[in-house]
Amino acid sequence: MMAIDPSLLLQNIVNGVFTGLLYSLVALGLALIFGVMDIINFAHGDFVMVGAYLTFVLATTFMIDPSLTAFITMPIFFVFGIVIYKLIIERVLGAEPLIQIAVTVGLLMVLRNLALMIFHAEPKGVPFTMFTQPITLGPITIASSRLVAGIVSLVALGLVHMLLTRTKWGIAMRATADDREVAELMGINVKRVYAVTFGLGTSLTALAAALIMTFSRADPYLGLLYGLLSWVIVAMGGLGGVIGVLASGLIIGIIEALGITIVGAGARELFIYLTFFFILWFRPRGLFGKR
Amino acid sequence: MAREVLVLDKINAGYGEFHVLFDVSLKVHEGEIVALVGPNGAGKTTTLRTIMGMTTLYSGKVLLNGKDVTKIPTHKRIELGITMVPEGRRIFKTLTVYENLLAGALTKKAQQRFQENLELVFNFFPKLRERRNQIAGTLSGGEAQMLAIARALMSDPDILLLDEPSLGLAPKIVIQVFDIVKKLREEADKTILLVEQHVKHSLEVADRAYVLEQGKIVLEGEAKQLLTDERLRKAYLIL
Repeated sequence: MMAIDPSLLLQNIVNGVFTGLLYSLVALGLALIFGVMDIINFAHGDFVMVGAYLTFVLATTFMIDPSLTAFITMPIFFVFGIVIYKLIIERVLGAEPLIQIAVTVGLLMVLRNLALMIFHAEPKGVPFTMFTQPITLGPITIASSRLVAGIVSLVALGLVHMLLTRTKWGIAMRATADDREVAELMGINVKRVYAVTFGLGTSLTALAAALIMTFSRADPYLGLLYGLLSWVIVAMGGLGGVIGVLASGLIIGIIEALGITIVGAGARELFIYLTFFFILWFRPRGLFGKR
Repeated sequence: MAREVLVLDKINAGYGEFHVLFDVSLKVHEGEIVALVGPNGAGKTTTLRTIMGMTTLYSGKVLLNGKDVTKIPTHKRIELGITMVPEGRRIFKTLTVYENLLAGALTKKAQQRFQENLELVFNFFPKLRERRNQIAGTLSGGEAQMLAIARALMSDPDILLLDEPSLGLAPKIVIQVFDIVKKLREEADKTILLVEQHVKHSLEVADRAYVLEQGKIVLEGEAKQLLTDERLRKAYLIL
């Protein structure tokens, strides 16, 4: 065991926490869609990728901060999500998982190749953001873009949690998740709940993308990383709702940061998937799974 | 005779290609308790599901308060004053007891009468008031059945379809369930269509009954008379 400087360790845990919060936000939309609709959406990560490009285009065209583009991209993505739902997803509701996978993988390929065609393989970054200054607190320094991304993610997770537990729409969504047919017997328009859930889940990827663009760049393969990451978080979070997503995201973020400290940046994803592997080995229903 | 709340007119229905009901006609008048009995697989549940618009309807009509609802989707029928307590209770297990009641009251009509209906439900089932913040999946079988009925009452229905409400419950609880069916009419002014395997109990609480066999109505009449019907007594071992 090699010696690790305790302040470096603390620094990395803090980095991991803020990264983990953002990861939770990335996975939140997928968790909602999977939880309520039982749809396996493999294109989720590529929604983040499209969001990143949209952020890039809007930020550079109108010279606004990438984080602020979320006010425009979120409503656009809400509508985009509903259109995707109506055109593609509604037709495969209740179909065999293999058909749902085929359809959403097809969507993923279309989005990825469109991005390659329009923007080419070279990553595109927004050259300006208001969050450039690092913030120092005692022994810890954190990039303000990461700090803002983490805080905004936490607020978004909190708002979605409140939506699900405190509002009529939330009750309707959870009732539909629990038993679709009985939800209809309650007078719930299940198709509309599905459309709104898909729209909301998609619009959350636009927020995540805007935050990612304050410190990172858009490239056509962004979906690969964030798609897999989201699946890991949702699988680990199991049926734990927003709290489950938050906990899994934080675990992934911290483990990733520790992996980078101890082994090096190259091993980043190795640790994520090893953790995933072991958690599902010992708890196949996820950390919060009860059923 | 009182107003006809529910009319099935020569219903032919099933699931996809699988024809289950053949020319089923029945009526339920306001304030009545009507029992629908018959052996397993006769089509009792299919009849209730057809009334709610959850099957494939080949021909025939469903009238609710005189209105043809045949083409109206399930979720919109609730607003028209009908709902079903499905077989096996099917409460929302991951929601709390109170959230289950909220889920039952999402229609506009139900929203307006929310407080009244909540009071009614808590008076009927005081256990639910005690357990309002408990996760519904942790309730006992009897309590879950009470919650399923309570949840249905929250939508403020005129007529309630009950599918095997005593299924899988302890004998003592079964008696309670039939008491509740009577109370629903007497104290909450509900009209009831009851599907049950406990034929004798059902005929004792019902005003009228229909006997369904192999997707066809084979016998109908006053419940008290059917109780003494020799054929029925033999078929269902009513001793």
